[in-house]
Order: sequence, then structure tokens, then C-alpha cells
Amino acid sequence: MFCSVAVRPAAAQQAPTYRAPRLAGTQNPNLNGIWESVNTANWELESHSPGPSPLPALLGLYGAEPPGQGVVEGGKIPYQPWALAKKKENFEKRLTRPTSLQINETTGDPEAKCYLPGVPRATYMPYPFQIIQTPKQILMAYEFAAARRSIVMDHKPKALSDTWMGWSTGQWDGDTLVVDVTNQNDKTWFDRAGDFHSDALHVVERYTPIDAGHLMYEATMEDPKVFTRAWTIKMPLYRRIEQNAQVLEYRCVEFSEEFMYGHFIESSGK
Amino acid sequence: MSHRFFARIAALAAIVALGILTEVPAAGQQAPAPAKKAAAAKPAPSRTPWGDPDLQGVYTFATTTPIERPKALGLKDHYTEEEIAALQKKADDAVQAEGKAPRTGDTGTYNNFWISSDKGRVTGRTSLITDPEDGRMPPFTERVQKIRAQWAAKDAARQVGKPPYVQEFFNSWEDHPIYTRCIARAMPRMFQSYNHGVQILQSPGYVVLDYESMHDVRIIPLDGSPHLDASIRQYNGDSRGHWEGNTLVVDLTNFSDNMEFPDHVPGGPQGNMHIVERFTRVDANTVNYQVTVDDPTTWTKPWTFILPWRSDDPSYQQPEDLFEYACHEGNFRMMEDTVSGTRSLKEAAQRERANTKQ
Repeated sequence: MFCSVAVRPAAAQQAPTYRAPRLAGTQNPNLNGIWESVNTANWELESHSPGPSPLPALLGLYGAEPPGQGVVEGGKIPYQPWALAKKKENFEKRLTRPTSLQINETTGDPEAKCYLPGVPRATYMPYPFQIIQTPKQILMAYEFAAARRSIVMDHKPKALSDTWMGWSTGQWDGDTLVVDVTNQNDKTWFDRAGDFHSDALHVVERYTPIDAGHLMYEATMEDPKVFTRAWTIKMPLYRRIEQNAQVLEYRCVEFSEEFMYGHFIESSGK
Repeated sequence: MSHRFFARIAALAAIVALGILTEVPAAGQQAPAPAKKAAAAKPAPSRTPWGDPDLQGVYTFATTTPIERPKALGLKDHYTEEEIAALQKKADDAVQAEGKAPRTGDTGTYNNFWISSDKGRVTGRTSLITDPEDGRMPPFTERVQKIRAQWAAKDAARQVGKPPYVQEFFNSWEDHPIYTRCIARAMPRMFQSYNHGVQILQSPGYVVLDYESMHDVRIIPLDGSPHLDASIRQYNGDSRGHWEGNTLVVDLTNFSDNMEFPDHVPGGPQGNMHIVERFTRVDANTVNYQVTVDDPTTWTKPWTFILPWRSDDPSYQQPEDLFEYACHEGNFRMMEDTVSGTRSLKEAAQRERANTKQ
């Protein structure tokens, strides 16, 4: 398939717009496919220099943090002063072993426990996800921890409780899929750097097909308990074009149990 | 929840009024062709805009039909209307009885308050299994009989005390089944007493099953591509589908070595299991889920069951009726209480032994 390029006179230049093929039976662009981000946003949303792994003597370069350019528009996340200090504390305690429920609920990067990542982190974890688009609904199935979320397109259900992946409703703005995400709990982080939010978080995502192989993804976060204003991240999503591209099972629970529960065992010899 | 729970559930009285499934396909066959009489003719199923038969919908696969037929029933595969009425009364009485307080010392367990029983979602059959003829799973191979016996002995060694105060020791999280560790559900999925919703979605080239329990999404490609390399193993296996008329046929291989048996006993079918699923729309509210399980290293012959997926449950009408099943995220206390509780009990017993020696 080819990009369709609008031809304009040189004097009134406009960016060429791509018109994606339609999903059969609808007037909407077909976003079906396997997609993945390619950046270091899961390490840290803001720009960052490289750094050592949490356990360099044990892991060498495994788990070392690569450098990365930030994905935050304007550069910095606009934390309230108390929250910036909290972010730093989160980072220092990111791999605290949860020796009690209270610690488990309040401390440490949930990714290290194979907990559901929430939105938008699920989008930019370094694993593929599949968009399954029907006329009335879009399902996103993520490889990490078999996370999934359903985006209802034809009605607005009432959220019954807070959840890890939130409640998503969607609509089309031209060829852009706009997803409104509410009612996420406060237990997920935005990245491994300790960037966090409260249960008041409200996320609006935009997925725009820019050519056959790419979506442009934006997510705007509002959380009056934590930030001084709304802020936005932006990044391309790349279509996985391998003939045999497939979202595999990454059921990481059994790889997290030793970290989470090992201290409860009566002897390390098991 | 332990496998004993499922033994109790399987013993629950089954079934209500005769269901609509009078055309249950025999094992190994496709759904029967429409009846010759005009009055009984089924309309052709609707199609997606890209021409595939439309199986989409929000379903529940709750049922009180047991997986295996009670031995005493022999080859009887359907109940009479009178029997169904009697079983229904027994089930209703059991629900009424749950209003009473449990026995002293019994902390109670899941009961019909939590379990959505299937009044109205009935099969009228005596078992979900349709082949072998006796409605029961074929015998296990010797290899598996040995594994299960070894596990039963290990399991028994972890039980301490006398009924009704039997306690179970968990020396590590690995003493819990895969189910309780929130890793996976057994395949094939035959039974779920709560959170038993599943949605079928379709997009060009795919059929997708979104299971509520364990938040599992099974993505079934229809492009004729080969299975994954044999070195990649998955708890839900690897699915490849194609259409045979109006039936979706799905072939599953590449199962993990860590599979459990359907009764949660570990050491299950392992990587040799081969499953063939057939999904056929029977009417506006029903898709028949017919499954043949084949693993000559585990069962001495293949076996088949049919489980209707129903879309007429008022609790399961919209996609949002499938709740988020954040299992592992809510499981910390399960592990803390059982594993460190075991350690505490053992230390207490040790102290007591030391004291009595003095």
C-alpha cells in the first residue's frame, strides 16, 4: 500500500496527510495490527544520561540504564513540589523487597513485581501489543503480563471501581482515535524513574496513523493532586512488519515470586 | 482455591429445565446441517463486513453440568424432564441452606452468593464430555498415574491436624497450584464458577477470545501461518484457526511443560497436548464450544466435550461486564499468610517440642 500525498502549490505548503485504509464496514481508519514503541520511555519519560544497573556487581551491564531523549513536551513533568520529592524517594526505593502488605502497597516499582502497568505505561513498555479493532470496540492486548484493556466506542459505561488499567472509552476525531481513560488506581508508575500519579489521574490518548507503518501517539495527563498543570508525552509507534509477528505470552508472575515472597520461606534451600 | 473445591462443585446437583440444545453435535462431527423441516430451519449466521461468519458477542460459559458423568449413570447422556426438575429442586434447596451459619471452626468458602449458577443456561446433558461414551475422561497413562500418585502423597504430607481443623502447609509459593499463583488457567477451559465471562471479537484475519478470568486474550490468526517454533511454549498454547463452513476450527499446540490438570493437580499434560476447538453459532444466543483433547502421553485416548457459550445472561451483555481480573495484584496476602504462616506454625511446634523435652 502507498501513502497518499496531497499535492499543494509550492506557495501554500502543507504537510502531506496520509489517509489510512478504512476498516471494512466503517468510515474509520484501520488500526489493526501489532505495534511497539522504540525508545527508553519505560526507563524514564524525561531525558536522561546512562546509569548503572541496580546491582552492578551481580548483573554487570544487564539492567544498566541506556541514555535517552525525553518524550515529555516541554521537557519536564510539572510536579507540585511535594511530588517531586516523592518521585525521588520512589526511585531510591524502586526495588524494595515487599516484606509486608503495607510495603507492597506503597513502595517499589510495580513493574518489578509483574503488576499491570496502567495507561500510558503499557503503550511504551518495550514489548509489542496488538490492536484489535471492530466497529464498536477496540481491544488492546499487551505482551507484558498479558495486560489488556477494552475501549468501548459506542457508549460510555459507568466505572464501577478503580482498576489497574482504568476504564477506557473512545471516539474518532477525524482519523485520530481519541481514548479517555479514567479510574486508574494509584498503584502504577509511569516509568522506572519513579514518576507517579494519584487516583485522580485522567489520561487522554490520541492515536493517529501517519503512514502505513507508523502511528503517532500522544497522551495527556491531568492529575490536580500531583501536577501543577496537564502535560503531554508524544512518540511514534512502529508497526511490527515481520511475516510472523505475534504477541507472545510473557507471563512474568513466576519470575517475580522469588523477589516478592522469597523472604517468607523458612529456609533458602526450599 | 484448592482442587477439593472443584470436587465439591462437581458434586452439586445439576440442571434446570431442558435447554434448547436439542441438536448437540456428536463428538468429532461438525454442527448438524439445518433441519429439513421449514419450521426448524436455521437462518444462515450473519457475516462480518469482510465476509467471515459472525461469532461475536459477550458470553458466559457458566454451567452446572459436570465435566464428567456420574459413574452410576453409565451411558445415559441426557436427563428426562422429570429428572431435571428434581435436580433443580435439589439445587434450589442447597442455595436456601446457605442462609444458615457454618459449623463452628469452619471459616466457610465460596458459596452460591458468589457463584452465579446457570439457571437457564442448561444443557440437559449428564456431562460436558461427549466422548468417550461413558461421559468420563479416558484413563490416564501409567506415566501420569505415577505423577499424580506422587503428587497426592506430597500433598497429603502437607496436611496437618484432623477434620474439621485440617490445615495445609505451604513451604513456598510453589506448593500452590498455577491457578492460585495467578499464573494461568488450565487448558482447555471447561469450568469457571465466577468471572466466567468471555467475549469473542473479530477483525480481518483474526478471531479473538477475551477471557475475563485471568484476563487472558487469545488471538487466533486465520492466515494459515504455521505454529510457533516448538521451543516457544505457552500456557494457552499457540492457536491457528480456519473456517469450515460456519464453524471456526482452531488448532492448538506449543503448550507449556508447567500445565496443570483440569483439577489443578500439577504435572499436567505438558508439552504434548494437542487441542482442536470448534466454535459454531447454534442460535442468536449460543455458540457451541466443542473441544477434542489429544495427548497420548497423558490420556490413553482422545476425549471431547461440548460447552455452550451463552449470551443471554443479564450480567454479561456489554464488554464492560467483563471485570478486570487483577489476580496477581491482589494475591500478596495469599502468599504471605500461607508461607509465613507455615513457618510460624512449624517454629511454634519446634518450640513446643523443645519445651516438653525439658
